[in-house]
Amino acid sequence: MIDLRFYEIWREQIFVEKLINGIGTSILLMILGGIIGFIFGLALATARGSKIRFLRIPSATFIESVRNTPLIVQLFFVCFGLPMIFEYRWPFFASALLALCLNFSAYYAEIIRAGFDNVEYGQSEAARALGLGKNDILAYIVLPQALAKVYPSLVSQFVFLFLTTGIISEVGVEDLTWAGRYIADRNFRDFEVFIVLTIAYALLSVMFRGVLTATGQLVFPWYREK
Amino acid sequence: METCINLNDLNKWFGSFQVLDSINLSISTAEKVVICGPSGSGKSTLIRCVNALEPFQSGSVNVCGISVEKNGRNATDIQRRVGMVFQQFNLFPHLSVLKNCTLAPCRVLGLSDDEAGAKAMHYLERVRIPEQASKYPADLSGGQQQRVAIARALTMEPELMLFDEPTSALDPEVVTEVLDTMVDLAETGMTMICVTHEMGFAKQVADRVVFMDEGKIIEIATPEKFFSEPTHERTQFFLSRVLG
Repeated sequence: MIDLRFYEIWREQIFVEKLINGIGTSILLMILGGIIGFIFGLALATARGSKIRFLRIPSATFIESVRNTPLIVQLFFVCFGLPMIFEYRWPFFASALLALCLNFSAYYAEIIRAGFDNVEYGQSEAARALGLGKNDILAYIVLPQALAKVYPSLVSQFVFLFLTTGIISEVGVEDLTWAGRYIADRNFRDFEVFIVLTIAYALLSVMFRGVLTATGQLVFPWYREK
Repeated sequence: METCINLNDLNKWFGSFQVLDSINLSISTAEKVVICGPSGSGKSTLIRCVNALEPFQSGSVNVCGISVEKNGRNATDIQRRVGMVFQQFNLFPHLSVLKNCTLAPCRVLGLSDDEAGAKAMHYLERVRIPEQASKYPADLSGGQQQRVAIARALTMEPELMLFDEPTSALDPEVVTEVLDTMVDLAETGMTMICVTHEMGFAKQVADRVVFMDEGKIIEIATPEKFFSEPTHERTQFFLSRVLG
């Protein structure tokens, strides 16, 4: 029978501190990354659906490059490659956040684009018939409906992306996964530590999903499942 | 009487298929015209050319003294002056009934929320559903939705109204409430073009009935003449089918 010693985690105050800090860092990264990534994604989706080739081609290229390469490669490129090319130094947290934002934005962009494609043509036609201009139609008619339609997918993607953020511990950001490694390296109770991590990630995921779903009901009270 | 719409030798093709074939039609201010004809005859396309929703290839379209450009470059100038009601209502599902009505007046005419709101309530009363103003379209019946769509178009205070089969998607028992609203509107002196299969409405309201087939205007007549002594064989056949 396996001998589980969870008290080996709580025994040291520094371990508990690292865990709590890790949870905080993971949540902060995800909220910032989620919001900034969503805004970038919105811009990318709009650019990709644009008639202007100068906007459409670069955005499509970016989206496909991100979606077809591993996150860890993107992470190293943003944290080490870009600073070498452009000769700047950022804290790892900022670089990792940028990498996550860029990664998220590409996935969000594709979901949002699917939303744009699913708004009935009659909607923009009715808006045109009222004399509304292109930008107003996008902002007031198409966008709100597109977001409502894909909102559940955006929430799922958000939670999925949250679960991939552990990878940023590779560049030394002290997130939840990093805290687990830190503890396991010192008390050698890898199994117990990773059980605790698993539970923490699961609870955080459920929390994010719950908060986002409730937010959706507030923001889109008019939306009816077809 | 003052001319509101003038279509002169209007031609339109979808690819190699000609949907509108040398259309000539002139409509005066306050006139009510009903367009009927079999499906695919170009009725909807015709009125969609009037408010520049569809581009056309040759001829001229003159609406409210503005010449519609073929490529639709001045489309919004026309569209703000012309109201349109669709078969599928096309209300904005994410906006309340009131907001459906006020969005365009605020954004296009630059009215304040209060001004637009007052105007919208006036027209919602006109179509007899002011009590639904704060609801979302999905909470309304089809007939109510179509009346909101009429109020939404009227809130822009258009110079003429186009109706594209406004009752075709409705349950039979609510068709009358929408037709009654249209009759009321006709009595206010609004210029109206209605594509409809409601021959009763045509008899009651229309000054002229236009019959179209295969992209051509076959016959234009007063309702009395149109229903009692249609000149063309094609019209007679159509009426025998529609009136049963």
